Amino acid sequence: MAVFVEVDHVDRVFNLPDGGEYIALKNIDLHIHKGEFVSLVGHSGCGKSTLLNILSGLDQPSAGGIILEGRQVTEPGPDRMVVFQNYSLLPWLTVRQNIQLAVDQVMGHHPKAVRKRMVDHHIEMVGLQKAADKRPGQISGGMKQRVAIARALAIRPKLLLLDEPFGALDALTRGGLQEQLMQICQENEVTCVMVTHDVDEALLLSDRIVLMTNGPEAHVGQIVDVPFPRPRERMEVVKHPNYYSLRNEIVYFLNQQKRAKLQRAKPAVAVAANGLEKVNLELGFIPLVDCAPLIVAKEKGLFEANGLSQVTLNREPSWNAIADGVTSGRLDASMMVAGMPLGITLGYGNQRPVPMVSALTLSRNGNAITFSKRLFDQGVRSPADFKAALDRRPDQVHTLATVHPTSMHNLLLRYWLAAGGIDPDRDVSVTVIPPAQMASNLKSGTIDGYCVGEPWNARAVAEGHGVVLATDNDIWAGHIEKVLGVTEAWANQYPKTHVALVKALLEACEYCDDRRNREEIAEMLARPEYVGADETLIRQGFLDPYDRGDGSEPQQVLNYIQFFTGKANFPDVTEAVWMMTQMARWGITPFPRNWLEVAERVKRSDIFGQAARELGLLDIGRDRHSIQLFDGVPFDPDHPLDYLNQFAIKRDLRIEEMPMDVVRR
Amino acid sequence: MTAPLDIRPTRSRFNVARLSQQALNWLKGLIPPVVAIVIFLSIWQVLTMGPNATLPTPIRTIQDTWELIINPFFDYGGTDKGLFWQVWSSLQRVAIGFSLAAVAGVALGILVGTSPLMYSALDPIFQILRTVPPLAWLPISLAAIQQAGPASIFVIFITAIWPIIINTTEGVRQIPQDYNNVAKVLRLSKPTYFFKILFPATVPYIFTGLRIGIGLSWLAIVAAEMLIGGVGIGFFIWDAWNSSRISDIIIAIVYVGVVGLLLDRLIVFIGTLVLPEEQKK
Repeated sequence: MAVFVEVDHVDRVFNLPDGGEYIALKNIDLHIHKGEFVSLVGHSGCGKSTLLNILSGLDQPSAGGIILEGRQVTEPGPDRMVVFQNYSLLPWLTVRQNIQLAVDQVMGHHPKAVRKRMVDHHIEMVGLQKAADKRPGQISGGMKQRVAIARALAIRPKLLLLDEPFGALDALTRGGLQEQLMQICQENEVTCVMVTHDVDEALLLSDRIVLMTNGPEAHVGQIVDVPFPRPRERMEVVKHPNYYSLRNEIVYFLNQQKRAKLQRAKPAVAVAANGLEKVNLELGFIPLVDCAPLIVAKEKGLFEANGLSQVTLNREPSWNAIADGVTSGRLDASMMVAGMPLGITLGYGNQRPVPMVSALTLSRNGNAITFSKRLFDQGVRSPADFKAALDRRPDQVHTLATVHPTSMHNLLLRYWLAAGGIDPDRDVSVTVIPPAQMASNLKSGTIDGYCVGEPWNARAVAEGHGVVLATDNDIWAGHIEKVLGVTEAWANQYPKTHVALVKALLEACEYCDDRRNREEIAEMLARPEYVGADETLIRQGFLDPYDRGDGSEPQQVLNYIQFFTGKANFPDVTEAVWMMTQMARWGITPFPRNWLEVAERVKRSDIFGQAARELGLLDIGRDRHSIQLFDGVPFDPDHPLDYLNQFAIKRDLRIEEMPMDVVRR
Repeated sequence: MTAPLDIRPTRSRFNVARLSQQALNWLKGLIPPVVAIVIFLSIWQVLTMGPNATLPTPIRTIQDTWELIINPFFDYGGTDKGLFWQVWSSLQRVAIGFSLAAVAGVALGILVGTSPLMYSALDPIFQILRTVPPLAWLPISLAAIQQAGPASIFVIFITAIWPIIINTTEGVRQIPQDYNNVAKVLRLSKPTYFFKILFPATVPYIFTGLRIGIGLSWLAIVAAEMLIGGVGIGFFIWDAWNSSRISDIIIAIVYVGVVGLLLDRLIVFIGTLVLPEEQKK
């Protein structure tokens, strides 16, 4: 579909009376297709309305521009009609005259009779025949809004801009008008951009929802695609399997923005106490069973016991949010997918490299590869079967999902596919989706399979949409999974706090692996503020026999998730090098020529060792070892390039020296 | 409002109970001012009953001016006319002066309001001139025009024009941004913008200006006539003073007050006819 409206790197800077500047919008880049309905959602003062004014031409961007059908927008015009927040009807004109004024002005070249029909048609369309000769002062808010919409549509704009059109209306009127607007837009194929505060309204009406971050320097934080089929019915939309996960994602985003605003309002001053540099920590987590160490440390008072008296856990919407949060300083530390500290240090996805430190592994195992029931019914049981299925239907694109480019899910899924002769970039498409949305996307058929941590495999199995084809134990038993990650700058600034944090979490990990505690932990995790999933799903594998959904008897899996046993927590350099080979293999990061230096720099066994000694936990370090996955290819940490080169399926390798500054502390 | 009009219960025009109820309410509303007037008159009566009083008592005033009160329409030639004629000729002057001021003031106000350059150039001048008392204009207008009648009309004009200009200007500048945005998005032509948006949006402010203007004009005419002479309520008062007819002065003052009130109400009434519901504030 051709781009209809292009918002091209728009900035808007306001000059303040005191001579300063206020940067309201920064680098907004957005493409809107013809007939698309896009909503702008964000907190008050995030510049949504400013962006809408720039789209209409009432305001001019300070940099960048708006291009409508190939032509730059420089002034307001009737091809971009606005439905203003407060209706903006002229009070001295009747309903009919208000619409007529617009029609006469814009369609002056048509004969009078045609214009009159046009006016009458639109009055009828919004059902205002009886009020046509009343003035705005004599009709209700809902009716005024209908007049404003009729006036806007009557002049056949190319782009309809709506500024919180239903904000001032009562719920009943709003519902009715939303449906009317949806129907009218559908019938007339109008391209719409709407500013709103109402998440449900945005989900009902939009094809895409653009989430804006808070000002100053507001920008597009996230774009949510709304996949509900059209024509939409309110009740059907609400029942759609993706509805609540999408809604949650948006609400999370907004809550997170609110928190960011609060944090900005009271600058995060490090509160020093208990002999530590900083005791007020913001930690991030993702709703997964393996976030248990953080939850346990919080609930069982292990943070306090180690002097960290003001720890806040932040439930984050996606791994990307975690990466941004830690590098921007919004979060002090966070649970991370295993490859994330390395990935950020190496500048994954062409981002600016930020040196990271990981002194603790939080968990091992706990993932599974789930395929849709449909593929399973076609006989897909292994990568080889899947390859056969792909070869049978070369016209179909199969999409698999993981949670982050640097996560073990991505690396293991790709390894598993490639070992079966499937190129994960050419034969299938691998996409990134937040964990909590996997099952619903599988159900809706947007993806055909995924690799994710629990309880999101269990959910697809329980709902009967998916079958677990492989667990970690089938691919690489006991692999590194989640780690604690902080920036190197943070680790250097708060060394004692860092050790205290590692100690608290290490104790929590030990607690988690005592099976006597797991009933209690499962109950904790199920709470809505943590994982918020059904407890029976969380117990799958964690406590109860694991049901793969393939018809076999559920089996008790040993070490389904390992938090402590088997020297689980040591920051293992060998694993770090293996992950760097795999990230380089798929073009996620370059492979550093100084790979050992990078691995040693990120994996801080010295901090881990100090914490373990202070806790009196001895002999939980790991020695150098070699790694072997299910296909039996050995990995020798001394010769990673040989290992990389022997893979048949890989991307072009980039091997680069990673400049690490000499001064360490 | 969404209810169909035809299902509303029909009201009888002559509902006796309702009418009498209304009349009763109206009478009740009248009680406080009547009581206040009675108290005022009593105090006046008490203060002026002594033998050394310089002003007549209210009863005395009525007795003295009974002729004037019962017959406002006599005309014995010259300036010896009934109070109605006195007021009438004053009103004529006000009508001419004020009409000119209204037309010129609204036009100037719109000009100044729409042009920021004009605004910055002229607004300081208006602000200075509007504080000049009406009578200060009289000598210069007499010097320029050399005739008493037109000179007093000019005083009315120059007194009334400032509030009209200033309020109209303000009205133009205060046109809600929403309306201007509508005009911009629709790309309304200049004349359409003027007649469909600018002028209607400014009307409430214009009426505020007119109301202040008519009050000032009535103040000015009484003072001007005192100095200029001829037929008019102002000169009637001056004449009465010169002839020591204090009671006449008092009755003329009552006339001036009542007429001023009526003029003010007249402008308000015209305003209610012109303005739609939403703009009445």
